[in-house]
Amino acid sequence: MHIFIKQESKGELGMKKALSVLSLLALSMVLILAGCSSASNDSDGKDSAKETEKAKKEGKDIVIAVQDNFTGMDPHDTNDTLSGSVQKTMLEGLVGFDKNMNVIPVLAEEYLANDDATEFTFKLRQNVTFHDGTPFNAEAVKVNFDRLADPESGLKRHSLYSLIEKTEVIDEYEVKFTLSEPFGAMINTFAHPAGLIHSPKALEEFGNDVARNPVGTGPFKFVEWKPSEGLEIVKNEDYWLEGFPKVDKITFKPVAENGSRIAMLQTGEADFIYPVPTEQVENINGKNGIEVESNPSIIVRYMAMNTLKKPYDDVRVRQALNHAINKEAFIKVVMNNQGNVLDSVIAPDVQFYAKQDAYAFDLEKAKSLLKEAGYENGFKTKLWGGNNSSAIKAMEFLQQQLAQINVEVEVVPMEAGTLSDRIWSVQNAEDAEIELYYAGWSPSTGDADWGMRPLLGGTEAYPPFSYNVAYYDNPKVDESILAALQTADLEKRGQAYEEAQNIIWEDAPWAFLSTDNTLAGKKNYLQGVYLLPDGSLSVSEIEIVE
Amino acid sequence: MLRFLVKRLLEIIPILLLVSILIFLFVHMIPGDPARLVAGEDATLEDVELVRKELGLDKPMHEQYITYMTNLFQGDLGTSLKTKRPVTEEIGERFMPTFWLTVWSMVWAVVVGLIIGVVSATKRNKWQDYLGMFGAVSGLSLPSFWLGLMLIQLFAVTLGWFPTGGMESWKSYILPSFTLGTGVAAVVARFTRSSLMDVLKEDYIRTGRSKGLNEHSVIWGHGLRNAMIPVVTMTGLQFGFLLGGSVVIETVFSWPGLGKLLIDSVAYRDYPVIQAEMLIFALEFILINLIVDLLYGVLNPQIRYE
Amino acid sequence: MVEIKLSKKEAYMQMTSEQMKTRTPFSEFWRKFKKQKLAFISFFLVLFLMILAVVGPFIAPYDIAEPDYENVLSGPSAKHWAGTDAYGRDIFSRIIAGTQISLFVGLSSVLLGAVGGTVLGLLAGYYGKWIDRIIMRICDVLLAFPGILLAIGIIAILGPGLGNVIVAVAIFSIPVFARIVRSSTLAVKSTLYVEATKSIGAQPRRIIWKHIFPGTISSIIVYFTMRIGSAILTAASLSFLGLGAQPPSPEWGAMLSGGRDYLNIAPHVTLFPGLAIFFTVLVFNLLGDGLRDALDPKIKD
Repeated sequence: MHIFIKQESKGELGMKKALSVLSLLALSMVLILAGCSSASNDSDGKDSAKETEKAKKEGKDIVIAVQDNFTGMDPHDTNDTLSGSVQKTMLEGLVGFDKNMNVIPVLAEEYLANDDATEFTFKLRQNVTFHDGTPFNAEAVKVNFDRLADPESGLKRHSLYSLIEKTEVIDEYEVKFTLSEPFGAMINTFAHPAGLIHSPKALEEFGNDVARNPVGTGPFKFVEWKPSEGLEIVKNEDYWLEGFPKVDKITFKPVAENGSRIAMLQTGEADFIYPVPTEQVENINGKNGIEVESNPSIIVRYMAMNTLKKPYDDVRVRQALNHAINKEAFIKVVMNNQGNVLDSVIAPDVQFYAKQDAYAFDLEKAKSLLKEAGYENGFKTKLWGGNNSSAIKAMEFLQQQLAQINVEVEVVPMEAGTLSDRIWSVQNAEDAEIELYYAGWSPSTGDADWGMRPLLGGTEAYPPFSYNVAYYDNPKVDESILAALQTADLEKRGQAYEEAQNIIWEDAPWAFLSTDNTLAGKKNYLQGVYLLPDGSLSVSEIEIVE
Repeated sequence: MLRFLVKRLLEIIPILLLVSILIFLFVHMIPGDPARLVAGEDATLEDVELVRKELGLDKPMHEQYITYMTNLFQGDLGTSLKTKRPVTEEIGERFMPTFWLTVWSMVWAVVVGLIIGVVSATKRNKWQDYLGMFGAVSGLSLPSFWLGLMLIQLFAVTLGWFPTGGMESWKSYILPSFTLGTGVAAVVARFTRSSLMDVLKEDYIRTGRSKGLNEHSVIWGHGLRNAMIPVVTMTGLQFGFLLGGSVVIETVFSWPGLGKLLIDSVAYRDYPVIQAEMLIFALEFILINLIVDLLYGVLNPQIRYE
Repeated sequence: MVEIKLSKKEAYMQMTSEQMKTRTPFSEFWRKFKKQKLAFISFFLVLFLMILAVVGPFIAPYDIAEPDYENVLSGPSAKHWAGTDAYGRDIFSRIIAGTQISLFVGLSSVLLGAVGGTVLGLLAGYYGKWIDRIIMRICDVLLAFPGILLAIGIIAILGPGLGNVIVAVAIFSIPVFARIVRSSTLAVKSTLYVEATKSIGAQPRRIIWKHIFPGTISSIIVYFTMRIGSAILTAASLSFLGLGAQPPSPEWGAMLSGGRDYLNIAPHVTLFPGLAIFFTVLVFNLLGDGLRDALDPKIKD
């Protein structure tokens, strides 16, 4: 540290003279040059887009720039997708998701569920060891899920696994879970990033400090984490999957500013960045050896309407609002063409998705529906939402759209804590102040259940219990959702969810807007690294191909 | 003098005590439920209540306050609700980066600001003065996110001289400290100019001139010293502000500092971190302003404190 | 040293009495002010801004809220002098129409902060002792208080109105003005000349207003004029917290921050609101320089 500081003061002194003389000149220079450079970038881009040069890479150390700091490395006690992405490089679960959110085996080789969806048996992969040398077996699985299922543990992800009544070791490589009630979506819950498995030795040694000392079976081993600077992992030489991983080291760096993250990719300080802001996709794709990958995600965007409150207690008003919003324009203006029109309550990549007929953009129809409902001259209303720039942009767009049918919207962006207080401090549903709410949702289990039940699952999901801010309560929907959970039979589940989706679509408790695309930028020598539809990152197959 | 210093230093303890109560009350009064925010959007009420218990937020407020104060007296600032790490660690690893960035930004900004200010004052209403004014106003009205991103585009992406961000070597300091110092330099320049012009009109300066002292020693010897009082005041304040960390700079240059930590902890209502940061900021301002007050006495011995 | 100071006091008294005889203070001020070309011009530019603030919304060539999705983020052209924003709205019109709100918020919040801070600073500096200590320690705490928390608190207690933004920004300015005014007060007070007035037995209030306040004016003007720009930007950051002007209101600061995401693809979105703020800060600074010289009795010509 001491040497470091000395070095620096020399550098500063050298610079100081130059700076003092040039500071004013530099300011105006920057103005002009920056203008020029951005202009020249534009013209470059159009030429080189077709014949992208291959970027060069030395060594096998990868830098990945992400948007935020990680919160912890204990999957049982974190709930952000970003931390989950990093945890997945070091820890693995029984099952996982592939590129299309299908459940695939990881540490389990196969599984079996009974018809009531109350018993799940897993056959485990053999000859797998944790990074600390502990063998992976049924006992290790039991230790982890006992920890998760224990209500006294205080873990943030306990509720996902609270249905597990007992976990039994059948033999060294077979383990059986028994649930206290049927839960058809359980296999997806096992594939959820929260179901990753720690080394039992590490759990014993570090307790809840595994959040700083993750030890798993994954392709990479933990080296060091300085929360504000980054996290480093290295290749696990003894990884069970032959030939992987194919790089030596990965460093994750939190870079909050969109422009800076892109600059890092341009200079080569980062090999992979995500997310790429939608408005930058066209600007950087195909230049400086950069490729942007844009794929459909399971993140849905919608505007919830409080169905207990006038005028939204009238289904015609809710449908009118759906007809009044031009979704194509929403995707063009707000999402910069990086998204798709939402045509059900869940996204196509979510299990049991059933496509619906879109509410066409039709102002005449919207107006006549409003007239029928007795709101010929429109009304005034408030639209709540978060205060990040993309939420504000979307809300301003909705304001413009609804103005076309004389619905005068007041946009109310709110700071996170205030917003959550306004939403969840409601004790009586009738007292809820919320009218319109712009929101997004990503069902992290990839299953229809988590895409509907917390958001529209009747009175049980009303705030403060869950996230049903539309205060939508249709017993038929509740029934269908429940029926789908009572069985592990995929066909029966699919039918039940289809029915629920049809009813919800007709009832229109939301204005259905769009699904996001996942957006990642990478140097074109990188392969095998991609974002899953839930927005999480997969790097286990990452390699450098030149 | 020594008595004054001791008195002022002793004063800090009750003030901080008062401040800590104030901060505790304010932070708990503003809307926002840390248990809900930490548990996340897709948490059920059951999750939220578990988290609340785990974090000790289910206890009555006076009990929480007593715990907080007892820990504080033992030098324990508590544990972050969001990351479950000790607050001293969270703040510790960000304090020095913020401190050094502040120091380097202040050093160049004050030097440059003083030079511009003196030149402007002595070349009043000449082109140098106008250029100084133009530069200072630019420095004030350029938003730092704009300046920072432009500098990155030019010096990191196009020219490749400096890294885009992070804190790896001395090179990492150049762009952020330039961006951070610009506003300070502008403020120092404007205050130096104005205050030096005031002093240069004073009779004793005129007398000095008429006595045949050369212009240089009049300005640098007599003038500047007396003109320094508002400048020192302003510099102290700026120093204090920068020590609090700058969210924009830390975001744009991925700098591990206190500013973004504060914003993040406010977003999660991470009470222990917010409280600790505010206590530190208050202490910083109290100490800086104490030093500034002492400097008044050095610059102008006629200013005395009783 | 003592002799010089005394003679200075005499000179000052002579000077002021002389001026009293010949001209009214205002005509004297106007005569001196007119002599400074640049400041004089800036006076008319400020006037221009004021007029724009009043008529702006009526003379803007385009509707400031009307979107045009076929024409988003297009650069400056004959049709749209300052280009269009992310919804295809005319930026030039929005800047003109936004003069009102930005200028109002900027000026009134700084004015409020300046008045509050000046009173506190004068009291602290003149009386010293425990009054000084209490006021200054309160200021220290205010300085350390994070803006975002204050804003959240204000929304929770007072609500999200525009008036409350002014209060919030003013609260940020008060401690700074207080410290600056106090420092000048200490310097002026220490000169023998105030000591002399004191010994004649003048009322404290008279001493403060007649003799000390004028000595602090130049610092106040400098900070006041500098603060306007940052007040406009601060107000914008508060609007992101839900405090103050909300979309589609054309606030300069909010327009400028809104362009952050398009900095490299549509620089005009930030550039023009930025120039508007720059221009405003510049003319107020020039005006401020002119004012302080014209108000200064020690400059005769």
